[in-house]
Amino acid sequence: MEILKRNVKVVLFLGKFLYVVVLVAQSAEVLQTNRAALILEHLKNPSNDYVLAVSHRGDWRYAPENSLQAIQRCIDLGVDIVEIDVRLTKDGHLVAMHDYTIDRTTNGKGKVSELTLEEIKSFRLKNACGVKGSRIQVPTLEEIMKITKDKIMVNLDKVEGETVREAYEILKRTGTMKQAIFKGRETVQTMRQKYGGLLDSIIYMPILIDNTKNPSQFVKDYNNDLSPLAYEVTFDSERSENFKQISEMRANGIFVLTIALWDALVAGRTDEMSMLQGPEKSWGWLIANGANGIMTDRPGELLQYLGQKGLRDWLRE
Amino acid sequence: MKLHSFVSCIVLVVISGACRQESVNGAKYGEEVFLEEKTEKSISIDDLIANLKDSRNDEVIVVAHRGDWRNAPENSLQAIENCIKMGVDMVEIDVRETKDGKLILMHDETIDRTTTGTGKVTDLTWEYLQTLYLRDGIGHKTPHRIPTLKEALELCKGKILVNLDKSYPIFDKCFKVVEETDTKQQVVIKGAIPYEQVKEEFGTYLDKVFFMPIVRLNHPNSKSIVNDYLNQLQPVAFEFTVPQDTIKMIEYFDDIRIQGSSVSVNSLWPRHNGGHDDEKAALHPSVYDWFIENHIDIIQTDRPQLLLDYLRKKNLHN
Repeated sequence: MEILKRNVKVVLFLGKFLYVVVLVAQSAEVLQTNRAALILEHLKNPSNDYVLAVSHRGDWRYAPENSLQAIQRCIDLGVDIVEIDVRLTKDGHLVAMHDYTIDRTTNGKGKVSELTLEEIKSFRLKNACGVKGSRIQVPTLEEIMKITKDKIMVNLDKVEGETVREAYEILKRTGTMKQAIFKGRETVQTMRQKYGGLLDSIIYMPILIDNTKNPSQFVKDYNNDLSPLAYEVTFDSERSENFKQISEMRANGIFVLTIALWDALVAGRTDEMSMLQGPEKSWGWLIANGANGIMTDRPGELLQYLGQKGLRDWLRE
Repeated sequence: MKLHSFVSCIVLVVISGACRQESVNGAKYGEEVFLEEKTEKSISIDDLIANLKDSRNDEVIVVAHRGDWRNAPENSLQAIENCIKMGVDMVEIDVRETKDGKLILMHDETIDRTTTGTGKVTDLTWEYLQTLYLRDGIGHKTPHRIPTLKEALELCKGKILVNLDKSYPIFDKCFKVVEETDTKQQVVIKGAIPYEQVKEEFGTYLDKVFFMPIVRLNHPNSKSIVNDYLNQLQPVAFEFTVPQDTIKMIEYFDDIRIQGSSVSVNSLWPRHNGGHDDEKAALHPSVYDWFIENHIDIIQTDRPQLLLDYLRKKNLHN
């Protein structure tokens, strides 16, 4: 009888064991083929033991801002989301460019909206010390989605006002709809008026900036209509209304992205503070105050810090 | 109990196998991913100077263009300090004079690109300039300030060699600061001019600081320019601009080294090195092999950490 019991136990255990192996193998399969999908899972179900690293304009210290190389570098580093800026050319192509004009970042001149893709492609990007003569061209959104596919999520800036539809078409064509996060500062009512049901087909992250009128209403309206999975929240001080929204979002299980780029976005808890005074005072403070993700100009250093704090184990490579 | 540990073993094996696969898939260029190592190494200034003077050893001198401008504003004290920490041998900085005669670090003629202010350096006073902040590589304000030449040299003193770019036409004034900070033996000045002209314009300084002639190898008289210098000055080093890597003069480099002058080539842009440049090296560091194969003693780079990592692996840098 005892022996039989033990055998049953062993068989049950072997069953469980096989089940676990299959599960692990499946997730390993996902890990191998689609890291971006795992990052999206985490955005949907944020946890306290994994903090997302979001790189601003790609790793622009390593290669020109908004270039394929700067984006590839983020993939290589293990960044979760790369933020890029997209603008529409005269002939209707979406290209990665931060400014209205190409003057600062390329060896050419003129507004993106007054140049054709061919014209823009004929120029070369400058590096971050302003030197012309790289071999690197301005990439299209399509090229970006192709190299990032299944590897990293992409956060699209500068699209809300005009180019959501154009970007949507490219995501559809490249099969990357679940990999791109749109964002914007408009109210949900304005966005609905502009884009209607299209908003339900994309991932949209509303931004709370310091001149957002009535932040709690802004958030309430979004939650009721679109229930976004994440908010980008900026706050110039801890007394800011936006800052108070963070704890409420967290209580509702909504992902909070903070922007450590300059003082007015994070009450001074910036990347630069990390470099000069140590990361606990800035990145550590942001995490302690509810950040699920940090947008940074120092992706390598941020990842290193998060790794040391045990905040990267979930997706460790 | 035993089964438990067996299960976790298997699970671990499966996970680690999957992870290994992933990191291989992650690298785009079919090779390993080259992440720069953060290293802190220091070497005495006497060793740096001895190495600069020695044209025959294998130790390569790494020169950082405008300081570590990727991780701090170009020409900032922080950019210099990062270089010292990294173990860079020489930092290249740009000197300009303000309207009221102050010597500051600034690359461009105007302060528009790199600071929070606007205008030409020569039209602006130090009183105004010291209220401004430096911008980072995407144009955002940082907490860093415009340094004076004096502050920069004080920071470099005893730690790192300094190439003062753009200082040649204002060197009388620069040299006062060099003397004041007691950094004479660390200072390198470059010029793309023949010996006769340097002797006339810069003669009083030739035995006080290091002068490095710049010679463009596509210049028809490049060899006689070099020979003039070798015969009359025996400079510590020549900087060569190598537009194509097929230029015959490259074969003359070893002769020049044997005669006692080091050979310096920039890895900055393709036209400096026949296309064996930093941008390519960022994808494949073995691009730097061209410099090693041609026994280049001094390399000025925009990727100091990458180059140091590579040279250290090859035992060509401390």
